[in-house]
Amino acid sequence: MTHITDEIRKQLVHIVTQKRYLDSKEELACYAYDAFWEESMPHAVIFPETADEVSRILKIAFLHKIPVTARGAGTSLCSASVPIQHGIVLCFSKMDKIVEVNTRDRYIIVQPGVINADVQKALAPFGFFYPPDPGSMNIATIGGNIAQNAGGPRCLKYGVTMDYVLGMEVVLASGEIVTFGSRNVKDVTGYKLSSLFCGSEGTLGLVTRAILKVMPKPETVQTLMVTFKDLDDTANAVSDIIGSGILPAAIELMDRFTLNAIEDSFGLGLDRTAEGTLLIEIDGIKEACEREMDKIIEHLKANNAVHIQESANDADRERLWTARRSAYGVFAKLAPDIVSEDVTVPVSRVPEMIRKIKQITKSYNLTAGVLAHAGDGNMHPMIPADRSNTEEWARVEKAFDEIFAAAADLGGTLSGEHGIGLAKARYLPLVMNQDSRNLMSRIKQAIDPAGILNPGKFV
Amino acid sequence: MNPPIKPLKNCGKCGLCLTACPVYKVLKEEQASPRAKLQLIKAFENNTLESSPLLKELVSKCLMCGSCAVACPSGINHYEHFMDMRQKMVESLGETPAIKSLIFLLSKESRIRMGAGMAKLGQTLTPKWLADKYRLGNIPINQFPRLNPTPFRKTVATTISPKGLKKGSLVYFTGCATNFLYEDTGISTIGILTHLGYEVIIPKDQTCCGIPLMFHGAPAVENMMTNIQALCAHDCHGIIVDCTTCGAALKDEYPALIRKTKEKDRPATEHNGEVLEDCAQKIAAKTTDILSFIAAHRKDLVFDETTPKLGPVAYHAPCHSRNSFKSQPLVQDLLRNLPFMDYTPTPDEAECCGGGGTFFYEHPDIAKIMMDKKLWHVNAVNARYWLTDCPVCRINMSGNLDKSGDIQVRHPVSLIYGALKKP
Ligand code: SF4
Ligand code: SF4
Repeated sequence: MTHITDEIRKQLVHIVTQKRYLDSKEELACYAYDAFWEESMPHAVIFPETADEVSRILKIAFLHKIPVTARGAGTSLCSASVPIQHGIVLCFSKMDKIVEVNTRDRYIIVQPGVINADVQKALAPFGFFYPPDPGSMNIATIGGNIAQNAGGPRCLKYGVTMDYVLGMEVVLASGEIVTFGSRNVKDVTGYKLSSLFCGSEGTLGLVTRAILKVMPKPETVQTLMVTFKDLDDTANAVSDIIGSGILPAAIELMDRFTLNAIEDSFGLGLDRTAEGTLLIEIDGIKEACEREMDKIIEHLKANNAVHIQESANDADRERLWTARRSAYGVFAKLAPDIVSEDVTVPVSRVPEMIRKIKQITKSYNLTAGVLAHAGDGNMHPMIPADRSNTEEWARVEKAFDEIFAAAADLGGTLSGEHGIGLAKARYLPLVMNQDSRNLMSRIKQAIDPAGILNPGKFV
Repeated sequence: MNPPIKPLKNCGKCGLCLTACPVYKVLKEEQASPRAKLQLIKAFENNTLESSPLLKELVSKCLMCGSCAVACPSGINHYEHFMDMRQKMVESLGETPAIKSLIFLLSKESRIRMGAGMAKLGQTLTPKWLADKYRLGNIPINQFPRLNPTPFRKTVATTISPKGLKKGSLVYFTGCATNFLYEDTGISTIGILTHLGYEVIIPKDQTCCGIPLMFHGAPAVENMMTNIQALCAHDCHGIIVDCTTCGAALKDEYPALIRKTKEKDRPATEHNGEVLEDCAQKIAAKTTDILSFIAAHRKDLVFDETTPKLGPVAYHAPCHSRNSFKSQPLVQDLLRNLPFMDYTPTPDEAECCGGGGTFFYEHPDIAKIMMDKKLWHVNAVNARYWLTDCPVCRINMSGNLDKSGDIQVRHPVSLIYGALKKP
C-alpha cells in the first residue's frame, strides 16, 4: 500500500479544501480510535460533503492503493472505524442533512452523517419513528448504523437496520456511484443489494445517501420492571413469554452485577438484591397491550417473579432507558477496559447461555455482568478488565474463546448487532465454514478488487 | 494518596459525551469533542504527543461548560482534566501578552479597583480589561453593557438589615459583573433577601472568583486565598452567589485547587486557627445560587398584586446552573409559579449560548452558530424578556440581539424584585 505523497495530498486537498483535510499528528490522534479498545493512527482524515467528493477521493485512493476507512461518530464496539492499516479516514459526520421526510409514503431520505436520534426527532411531529435503536442512538450516525446493520432493544419486534433500508446511494472503491432500491416499501427489482451493504462494515462501498422506511408510532407504550430472586427464573420467563407467541417491543435482562453498576451511577432506586431484572416494553393499540400485559404477567408469576412494577409515566420510562443505554459506559467506570460482546442464541437457549457465561467467567476468575436483549437471544456479557495486566487479559481472551464456542454450540452466532470488525474476525470459522467464507471473499474481491476499503477487518 | 479525579484511562471511549458537547454539535469533528480532548491529554501524558500550539488550541476549543462530565457514565471529571491540561500548556508555551496582563490585573483586588478607577475617566466606556475578561470580542461597541456609575460594593453597606423579623444572615458574593456592570442584579438580590427576612453581609475584601484565570491556565491561588478569608470571616447561614460560575468556583474549584496545592507539598495555611482547607469545605457546603434560594423560599415572597403580567418570558439556563448547581428544574418551577410572569420556555433553553470559557473570543464563528439558533427560538416564542443568571451569557445574549427588537435581557432577580410588595 502506498503512502500519501505530497502530490497525492495536493490532489486530495484540492477536492475538499484544506479545512476539511487533516493530517497533523495532534488531529490524527483523534481518529485513531472508536469505542473498542484497539487503536491505530490514520495518515489523513477527510470530511467529504457530497457523493461526488467521495467518488473523487476514492478514485485517487484506488489508483494508489491507499486504505480508506469510513467513520461516523466513532461509536463502533468492534473496531469497525479504526484504520487498522492506516491510510485515509473518511469521516461522514459533516454529511448530516435530512434530505426529505415523507411520512405519507412512509420514508425518510438522509445523508450518512445524520444522527439516529435526529431522524427520530424529525419524524416525531408526524407521529412516526424509525425503529432501529442502538444504545448509541443519541450520537451514532445512520451511515454507521447501516455499515454495522445496527440493532437495539426494539429490534425484538421491529427488526434491525437492514429491514428498514429501502434504497441507497453508494460509492464503490473504484469511485463509481451506484444506486439501488427505491422509495417503495415493496420492491423486488433485481438483487436486493442494500441488504448486502447493510453490515458490510465499510468493506464494500461507502453509503452517501439512504432511503429509510419509517413506522407510525404505536398508540400506547407500557413498560414493566420485574425482579427475580433467581437468574434462571428470569431467563426462563423470557423464553416462556416469547414461546407463547407474544411479541413485546423489547425485553431487556440484567443480572445483579449489571444492575448494581447502573444503580451506582444513576441511583434510580432499583432493587439491588435482585439476581435478575427484566425491563419489558410492549406497544400497540391500547386494548391489545392490556391483554398482552395480562398474559405476560401470568408468565412472570409462573416463573417466580418477586416484584412487578409498571412505570408510571414517560419521564419514568425515559429514565429507565437512559440508564439502560448507559450500561456500557457504566461498566467502563469499573476498570480501564471493558470487553463487551454480543453473542446471540435462539431465545429458547437463553437460560443455558447465561449459565454458560457465568460458569466460564467464574472458571477464569473474572467478574462479568450479563445484560441481554433477551427476547431475541442477544447477549452482552461484559467483563471489566485492565489490558495492561497481561495475565488478566489472557484470561479474558480465553474466557471469550469459550463463550463464543458455547454460543456456536447452542446454534447461536457471533454478533447480534455490533458487527465483526477486528473484534471477532478470528471466531468466524466457528459459525461459517471455509466455503462460506470464500464466498464472502469473492464478493469482496469483485466489488473492491484492490482491497482498499477498511482492510484488515473480517474479510 | 487518593486520586481526586477518575483517571483518564477509565474513559471507555463510548462517545456518550459527544451528545452533550455544544462544540461537537456545531463542528461535527471528533477533535473538538470531549472524548478527543481526553485522548489528547492521555497522549500528552504518555509522551506520545509533546506540547504544541495546536495541542493547546485543541484542548482549549472548549466552553468549559461541564456538560460532558454530566453525560459521562464512567464518572470522568472532564473539567478538572481540562483545567489541569490548560495549566500545563501555558506552563510550556506561555500566554499572549493580552491574556497575561488580564491575569495580572484580575489576580489582585487593588489592581482591579485601579483598572475600574482609570476607566471612570472615560465615563461609561467599558475598560479594556473588562472587555477582555468578558470577551466582548465580537459584540458591537454600542451593545457593550454600560459600566456601573460607581462599583456596586462601594454603594452598599457591609451589613444590611432585613425587613421585619430577622430569620438569619447570608453572605453575598457579588462577583465582578455585578460590581462593575450589572448593579441591578445586586440591588435586586439584596432587596429579595432582605424581603425574605435575611440580613445580608457583603464582605468588602472579596475579589474576582478567579475562574477566568483558571480557564487561562493560571491557578488563581491568590484570588482563592483572598476570597476564602473574606468569606470565612463572617458567621452566616449561607453564602449567596448571583452568578453560578462564581458559585462553581466557591463550590467546586476551590476545594479542588486546595487539594492540588497541597499535593505540591505546600503546607496548608492557617486562618484564624482553622486550616484553610476546612474553610474551603465549609464555604463549598454553604454556597447556594440565588435562584435556587428563592425557589426554596418562594412561598414567603409577597407580591404587589397590581404588578402587570410580564411576558412572554423565556429563560436561558447557563452551563454552571445546569451542571454545577443543577438548578434548571427549580428555576423552571419557580418561573412557572410566579403569579406575574408568563413563562414561555423555548425548546433549547438548556443549549449553550456560546459565551463560555475563552470561547466566544477565540472562536466567534462557532459561537455565532450557537447564538443564532438561540435567537431563532427566542424570537419564535415572541419573548419580551429573556432571563439568565450568568453575566457572561447576559452580555453575549444582549450583545447579539437585534437592537431594533424589544427583547430585554435580564437577571431573573430584577423582575422578581420589581414585583415584590414594597412597604
Ligand atoms: S462519556 Fe465518558 S467514558 Fe464515554 S467517551 Fe466520554 S469521557 Fe469517555
Ligand atoms: S466542557 Fe462543554 S464544550 Fe468543553 S468538551 Fe465538555 S461539553 Fe464540550
